[in-house]
Amino acid sequence: MTGTPRIEFDQVWKKFARGELHDSLRDLVPAAVRRLAGRGRARDELSGEEFWAVRDVSFEVRPGEALGILGPNGAGKSTILKLLTRILVPTRGRCAITGRAGALIEVSAGFHPDLTGRENVFLQGAILGMKRREITRRFDEIVAFAEIDAFIDTPVKRYSNGMNARLGFAIAAHISPDVLVIDEVLSVGDMRFQQKAFDRIQEMCTSGIPVVLVSHQLERIASLCTHAVLLERGRVARRGTPTECIEAYLESSRNGDSTANHTSALSFDALTIESALPVRSGERALFRLTGTVGDEATDAASRDCTLRVRALSTGRLIFSAAASACGAVLPARGPFEMDVELQFNVAPGVYSLELAVWDAESQREVVTGPGVTLQVEAGALTFSGTSHLLPRVRVASTQSTAAGASR
Amino acid sequence: MTDIVLTSTLPVERRRSLLGDLHEIAVDELWKYRELLYQLILRDVRIRYKQAVMGFAWAILMPALIVAAGTLVRFAMAYVGGGHVARDAIAGMAVKALPWAFFVGAIGFATTSLTGNLPLVSKIYFPREVLPLSATFAQSFDSTIGAVTVGIALPLLGVHYGLTALWAPVLAVLIFCTTAGAALFLGCANLFFRDVKYIVQVLLTFGIFFTPVFFEPRMFGPLGARAMMLNPLAPLLEGLRLSVVEGHNLLAPLVLATPKGDVIVWSPWYLAYGAAWAILGLIASVLVFHRTEGKFAEYV
Repeated sequence: MTGTPRIEFDQVWKKFARGELHDSLRDLVPAAVRRLAGRGRARDELSGEEFWAVRDVSFEVRPGEALGILGPNGAGKSTILKLLTRILVPTRGRCAITGRAGALIEVSAGFHPDLTGRENVFLQGAILGMKRREITRRFDEIVAFAEIDAFIDTPVKRYSNGMNARLGFAIAAHISPDVLVIDEVLSVGDMRFQQKAFDRIQEMCTSGIPVVLVSHQLERIASLCTHAVLLERGRVARRGTPTECIEAYLESSRNGDSTANHTSALSFDALTIESALPVRSGERALFRLTGTVGDEATDAASRDCTLRVRALSTGRLIFSAAASACGAVLPARGPFEMDVELQFNVAPGVYSLELAVWDAESQREVVTGPGVTLQVEAGALTFSGTSHLLPRVRVASTQSTAAGASR
Repeated sequence: MTDIVLTSTLPVERRRSLLGDLHEIAVDELWKYRELLYQLILRDVRIRYKQAVMGFAWAILMPALIVAAGTLVRFAMAYVGGGHVARDAIAGMAVKALPWAFFVGAIGFATTSLTGNLPLVSKIYFPREVLPLSATFAQSFDSTIGAVTVGIALPLLGVHYGLTALWAPVLAVLIFCTTAGAALFLGCANLFFRDVKYIVQVLLTFGIFFTPVFFEPRMFGPLGARAMMLNPLAPLLEGLRLSVVEGHNLLAPLVLATPKGDVIVWSPWYLAYGAAWAILGLIASVLVFHRTEGKFAEYV
C-alpha cells in the first residue's frame, strides 16, 4: 500500500447555512410552498444565508506522512476533519479514507454516565469500530493507560472530569487504526498525563500510518508533521513544510493585527535573520531590522520600539524589551538599520521575533511590521523547561567521618 | 483486518439505486457495525434496569396496565350493552396489549434516539441506523419477558394453544418490522423537526383508541370494522388475537353474520395488507433515513 494515498481530499467544497434551519414542521410548510412555487435553487448556488465553509480544498496523505492543518478560528479546520471522518458529506468533490479511520476527536462522547467504566470501554470501543475480541484483548492495556484500575467498575458519572477524559483518550489511543485523524485533544488530564498522551500520539504518528493533525499548538505541528496546509476562510492559503506554513500563518495573523487602526511614527520595512540556520539552543542569533522614522516622531517615546520573542507552542511572550532599554537610540528622522543579537537560552522549539510600538491613541503596545520565525534546535545546552537559567551548582560533602561511622 | 473504504461523495455523482442502497446499508453498515448495535442494545437494556426499583417487573407493568384499563372499559361496555365480559375478551386484550406496549415503548425511545445522542451524532461516524434500531431491539427484550409471562398466563384464562398459535412468531416479526420502520422514520424526522416528538407523544397517547387493543373491529359494524383495519397495526394485532386466543387459521377468512349485515372479522388480505406495510414501510424508512443521513450532523 506504500505510496498510494490513504487519505484523499479532492476539490472538496462544503456549504453551510447561517442562522436557523427549519427546526419545526411549522417552518417547513411555508418553505415547501415556496419551493413548489418555483423558487428552487441549484445546489451549487449560494442563497443569502449560505456560505462556503470549505472551498476547493485538495490534499493527499500517504503512509509515513503526517499532514498538519492550521489556520485561524473559522478557517474550516474542524469542518475538514468532520468531512474526513464522514460525519459531514461534501457539497462538491470527493473525500476518501482507505482503511479504518481512528479519530482522536472528543474522545469520551459516547460514554453513558450510568454505565461502569468497563461497560463504557466496550461501548465506546464499538462506536469507534472495534470488535469485542479486540477490546477484550487490549482491555488491560487501556485501563492501565488511563490509570483508573481501581474505578473500572464504578459508574462513569462518579468519575472526575480528568478520569473521564483519560479513559476516553485511552480507548481512542488503542484502536490501531489504518489512518489517524487528530483534533486538539492534547489538553487531556493533568500535565503528566498530557505528556503521556502526547508521547502516545507521537508513537502513533511515527508508526508509519498516515496522519492528519489539526492543532492551534504550532509546536505540535512543527514537531509531528511532515507537511502542512494553511487554511484561510475555507481556502488553502499555503501548503508546504510545517515551518513554511507556520511562518505564513503568523505573518497573516500579524497583518490581521496591524490593520487595527493606529498611527505610528515608525514604519518597518524588513526583519531578517542574518545568522546561519538552524539556531541551536544556547547560541546567539543576529537579526537585522530596516525602517524609517517619520516626521510625526517628535518625542523619544514615539521613536522607540519593543522587541518581543514568542514561543509558538504556547503563544506566550517569553521576552519583551524596549530597544531604548537595550541602549538603542533611533535617529530623529529618516531611514535606519538596527542589528539585534539575541542569545537563545531556550528549549528547542519554534519561536518568533516580533516588533511592537506604543500606540498613543489606544494607550497600548501594538504589534506591527514584519516578524520572523525561527526554529531552535537542541544544542550545547541540555535542559528541559522553557529557559536556561545559567545555573552554577557547587557541591561539597557535608558528611563527617563520625556520622559515617554511626551508620 | 479487512479494508474498509470510507468514501463520501456528492450524492448526484454516486449512482443511487434502490438495491444498491439497501445492500450498502445491510452489508457495509449494519453488518460491519453489528458489534456496535449489540453494545448499544446492551447499553439501553442495562440503563433501564440499573438503579431501578421495579427491575424486571417493569417489563410487565405497562402491558398489565393496558389490560387493566381495557378490562375496565369492557366492563362498562358490557354494563351498558347488557352483556358480560368473557374470559376470552381479557385474554384477547392481553395478547394485543403486549405488542402495543412494545410499539409505544420502542417509538418513544427511538424518536429521541438521535437527538438524545447529540455528542455522538455530531462527533463520531457510525451508521446512524443503529440508534433507533437499538432502541427497538432493547424494547423487544422487555417484550420478550412480557411475552413469556403472557404465554404462561393465557391458559389460566382458558386459552388452549392450537397449531394456529404458530402464527404468533410470524406476526411478531411483522410487528417488529412495522415498529422498526416507524422508529427509523420518526427518529430521523425528529432530528430535522424538533416538534415531531410532541406530535408522536400525542399520537401514542391517543393511538390506543384507533388501534384495536381494548376492543375488536367487529364491534363497529360492517363498515367500521374495515375502516379500523386500515391502521397498519390493526391486522397484525387482530391476527395475533384470532390465531392465539380463538384458534383461527389466518389463511381462512372469518365472516360474522349480524343483523346489520356481514362483518368481515378476518380475511387473508388483511394479513397481506399488514405485511405490506411492515416490509415496504421498513424499506422506505431505511432509504429515507440513509439518504438524509449525510445531513444529520448539520441539522442537530
